[in-house]
Amino acid sequence: MRLPALTLNQKLAVLALALGALALFAQPQRGPFVKLDARELALVVESEVDHVTAAELAAWIVEGRADYRLLDLRTEQDYATYHVPTAENVPLSGLTDYPLQRNEKIMLYSEGGIHSAQAWMLLRAQGYEAVYMVLGGLESWKDEVLFPSLPADADAQARARFERAAQVAKFFGGEARLGSDAAAPAAGAELPKLAAPPPSPGPAAPVAKKKKKEGC
Amino acid sequence: MMTPLFKYGMFGEEFSLLVAFVLGLGFGFCLERAGFGSARKLAAQFYLYDMSVFKVMFTAIVTAMLGVTYLGWIGWLDLGLVYLVPTHLGPQLVGGLVLGVGFVIGGYCPGTSVASLATGRIDAMVYALGIFAGTFVYAEVYPAIKGFVNADAMGQVTLPEVLGLPYGVVVFAVVAIAVVGFWGATKIERWVGSKS
Repeated sequence: MRLPALTLNQKLAVLALALGALALFAQPQRGPFVKLDARELALVVESEVDHVTAAELAAWIVEGRADYRLLDLRTEQDYATYHVPTAENVPLSGLTDYPLQRNEKIMLYSEGGIHSAQAWMLLRAQGYEAVYMVLGGLESWKDEVLFPSLPADADAQARARFERAAQVAKFFGGEARLGSDAAAPAAGAELPKLAAPPPSPGPAAPVAKKKKKEGC
Repeated sequence: MMTPLFKYGMFGEEFSLLVAFVLGLGFGFCLERAGFGSARKLAAQFYLYDMSVFKVMFTAIVTAMLGVTYLGWIGWLDLGLVYLVPTHLGPQLVGGLVLGVGFVIGGYCPGTSVASLATGRIDAMVYALGIFAGTFVYAEVYPAIKGFVNADAMGQVTLPEVLGLPYGVVVFAVVAIAVVGFWGATKIERWVGSKS
């Protein structure tokens, strides 16, 4: 049996369709190069909508919200010693290959704030829209959430705030400090043991679990 | 769309202009050979008795798209380096309409008018004057319409991103639309041709 002879146009159409069908499986590489909208980023930074405070993050975890990814940018050892509950460990160099969705809310923290600020820029440049830094990083998490302090001469309003902060600190295994204790540097304080994590923050990722798979 | 060779630093500013000149000559030659140096043939597109412009444009889209897809898949081309014109939906719709109206009235689009001009056609020379006049007027009124021109900024977006579809699915869909479009365009040509 002979196939009907095809015109040149028909042959080209068949070729295009075949290439198009094969392209269904194509995964073109984007490479490590990125484009920046410098003006937009400058505006975002200037209007201070690029970060959340440690206290805000703590409130989210207490509420058991699961609509965010919290990334710990420190080394594996630091992460193993202590990390904020629900955090995933991602070294800075592995960030661009880490499975993240562009529509996810991504929170970043490092020891201070420099690495998270740099990572913020990398992710924004790659088109991740909802990226936030935890202001002050783990240092401020320790000072504000784990070991909040109240000066001796605080007024009633500050005391009420401190009461709430003390409850949050307890939730995360920390300890609030009053009066003269407050002068003691938080760095000297014992970090909560990871073996006894705080009550599960709802549907968020388990505390010690690393490298959560895609699909949440 | 620009090739990223320049960005890779494979050649400098002056040489890139030379490359652009050679590519432009080739482009103009092909346009002329395809009959696109004639305003009659181009305007015929809008009266539906010669769909060559549609077919050529869609062929170019499919060819370039498949080429970019496969080069990117093989790893020879970093798609992150390919320049995309930022999308401003409203202003670009209006701009497209202005260009389209000018196309029907003048019988050329900017590229074909230059190719036609090179062959000595007088109507193309008049059209080129129109381009300069239009550019001048646009530059003069730009401060007044600046807000509108920069409205609806969507950044450098691609169809897979906007539609939320995998890259390959969009590629296949565009090829399928093109093939069906070619078939339909030929039908329309015959139908319009038989009526006149």
